[in-house]
Amino acid sequence: MSKRDVLMEVENVSVTFGSGANAVEAVKNCSLTLHEGEPIGIVGESGSGKSTLARVMAGLQPPSAGQIRFRGDNVFKGNKSFQSGNRNQVQMVFQDPYGSLNPQLNGLSAVAEAVRIHTKVGKDEAEQKALELLERMGIGKLDALKKPRQLSGGQRQRVSVARALSANPTVLLADEPTSAIDQSAQAQLLKLFLGLLNDGLSIVLVSHDLGVIRYLTKRVYVMKDGVFVESGDTETVFNDPQEDYTKMLLASIPGELGKAARAKLKK
Amino acid sequence: MTSDVKLLDVNNVAIGIERRKRETLVLVREANFDVNYGEMVGIVGESGSGKTMICRSIIGTLERRGASVIGGEVLFEGLDLRTINEAKWKTLRGKVIGYVPQSALAGPNPVLTIEKQLAEALSQVEGTGSMKNRSKELLDLVKIRRVDTVMKQYPYQLSGGMRQRVMIACALASKPKLLIADEPTTGLDVTVQSQIMELLREIRSDLGTAIILISHDLALVDEVCDKIVVMHAGATVEVGPTSSMSKPRHPYTVALNSSRIDVAKPGGELITIKGNPPSVGQWNPGCRFAERCDYVQQDCLVGDHPALSGKKGEHQSACLHADKIGKI
Repeated sequence: MSKRDVLMEVENVSVTFGSGANAVEAVKNCSLTLHEGEPIGIVGESGSGKSTLARVMAGLQPPSAGQIRFRGDNVFKGNKSFQSGNRNQVQMVFQDPYGSLNPQLNGLSAVAEAVRIHTKVGKDEAEQKALELLERMGIGKLDALKKPRQLSGGQRQRVSVARALSANPTVLLADEPTSAIDQSAQAQLLKLFLGLLNDGLSIVLVSHDLGVIRYLTKRVYVMKDGVFVESGDTETVFNDPQEDYTKMLLASIPGELGKAARAKLKK
Repeated sequence: MTSDVKLLDVNNVAIGIERRKRETLVLVREANFDVNYGEMVGIVGESGSGKTMICRSIIGTLERRGASVIGGEVLFEGLDLRTINEAKWKTLRGKVIGYVPQSALAGPNPVLTIEKQLAEALSQVEGTGSMKNRSKELLDLVKIRRVDTVMKQYPYQLSGGMRQRVMIACALASKPKLLIADEPTTGLDVTVQSQIMELLREIRSDLGTAIILISHDLALVDEVCDKIVVMHAGATVEVGPTSSMSKPRHPYTVALNSSRIDVAKPGGELITIKGNPPSVGQWNPGCRFAERCDYVQQDCLVGDHPALSGKKGEHQSACLHADKIGKI
C-alpha cells in the first residue's frame, strides 16, 4: 500500500461558512492522503461535513484554511482550482443522478458532450467514445438514447458515472452514489466500481451507508461534526472500532453487519 | 373477533390504470398476502414492483392516480374495500388505517407549526382533554424530546428524523389498527433509521398496531418484521414468516439475498440480478421473472404467471421449480 505514489493530500483543511456569530465550521482541521489506485471511504451522518470535504477535494469549494495537493501541486491558487491541466483528473459523481443530469439530453448526448469538452474531438468520435463508456457501465445503445426520466434510478446513476469517466480521471469522487437507488441496482454499481478499481482508478467514496463502505474501500475515515474521529484500515475499524461514535454507527446497520456490533455494544 | 378473520387480506389483487382508447395497463397482478392483528409485515421488491400501488389500494387513494383495483379483493376485517364509497373511506383512511408516506422531508405541511399539524390530525378523531395536551402526548409517544419547543417549530426547523417522527405521530393520532409505512427511512442516516425502526417496534408492542413496512432493504425488513412479502413485477412471488425466509424458495428472493452487501465479503463477488424488471405492459407469458432467472425451464415460459403454492399463512412461493432451488 505505502509503496504506491501519493496522489492527493488533504492537509489540515477547514471550511467555514458564514461569518461572525453565524459562522458554521463544516470541516475542522481534516487531513487525509489518497494513494494511486486506492479506494478510501469517508463515512458520517448528515451534516457531518463529508460532502463539503468531497467538494473541496473536487476543487469546487475553496477551503478556509489548509491545503490540498494533487501530485504535489496545490489545487487551489487564489480562488481558482486545478491549474496545470489537472482539472479533469478528479471527477465527481453526485448523490442524485436525476438532479445532475440534464433532463433534455439523452444519456448518449450527455456523455458525448462531456467527451467533447474534455478531449476536444469531433462529434462522431465523441459519440463513439461515449457509447463505449456507456457500454462499459452496462448501458446498451437502446438505453443510451433514452432521456433521464425514462431510465431507472440505477441506470441514471451509471450514466453519470460514465460521464465522469469521460474525462479519463485518476480519481473518482462519489458522493453517496448508492443512496438514491435500490438494492439490486446498488449491487450493479458496486460491481462496476470494483472493475474501475482493477483498472487503476482511485475512488473516494462518501457515504452514510457502512455496508457500501465496507464492501468497497480499504481505508476509512469516520467523520463527526466536521472532525475525523477515527480512521484506519476498513477491516480494522469495522472489526475493532475504538471510538464510541464508530461503535454506535456500526450498531445501527440493519442485518448481519450490525449484529456483532450491537452485541458488543450491549456488553 | 373470530380468529379466521384477518385484519387485512389482499387476495389475488390486480391493479390497472386506464389509458386512452379504454386500454387498461396492468400494474399489479397476483398480489397475495395477509396481515394479522398486531403483526409487522415487510414488503420488499425493486422500484416499480408495485409495492406502493398495493398500499394505495389499502388506503383507497388509487383513484386519485387514475388507477383502480380491477381484480381480486382487498378485505379489511372482512370488509371488501372495493365496494365501499368515499363516505365510508373517510371513516377508515387516516382513522383505522394510518399512513406514513415515503418522503419524510416533504411530508409535513411547510406552513404549519408542528402543533397545528398535530391538531389538524387530532381534530378528525374524538378524544378527551385539550388539543395541546393531546398533541404533546403524541409527540411523547414518538419519543420527541423538548416537546414544548418542537410544538412551536415549523417543519424546516426539524431534522429529517424528527420530521418523520412527526409524520408517524400524525398517523397515530387516531390509534389505527393498521399503520402503513412506505419506505419510512429512505434518505435518512443509518443511526436515525435504527431509531425509527425501534420506534415502530415499540408502537407495535405497546399499542398493538399492525404495521406494513415497505422497503427495498431486505436486511432491514429481515430484522424487524414477522412476515416478509416479496414482490416482483406486480406479483407476490414469495411470502412467509421471516424465519423461513433464510431458506428462500423463489429464485428472485435468492437473487435479492445474494445482492445484499451486509453479508457479502468485502470486494468479493456480488451477485447481481440479470437485466431489469420487465416494463409495465410488456409482460411475457408465463413467469414474469423467467427472463432474469437462473433456474428457468421450458414450462416457465408459457401460460399464466405461476400461482403461489401452499396454504395462506405458510411459506409460499410462486415458482414452479421451488424444490430445485439451492440444488443447482
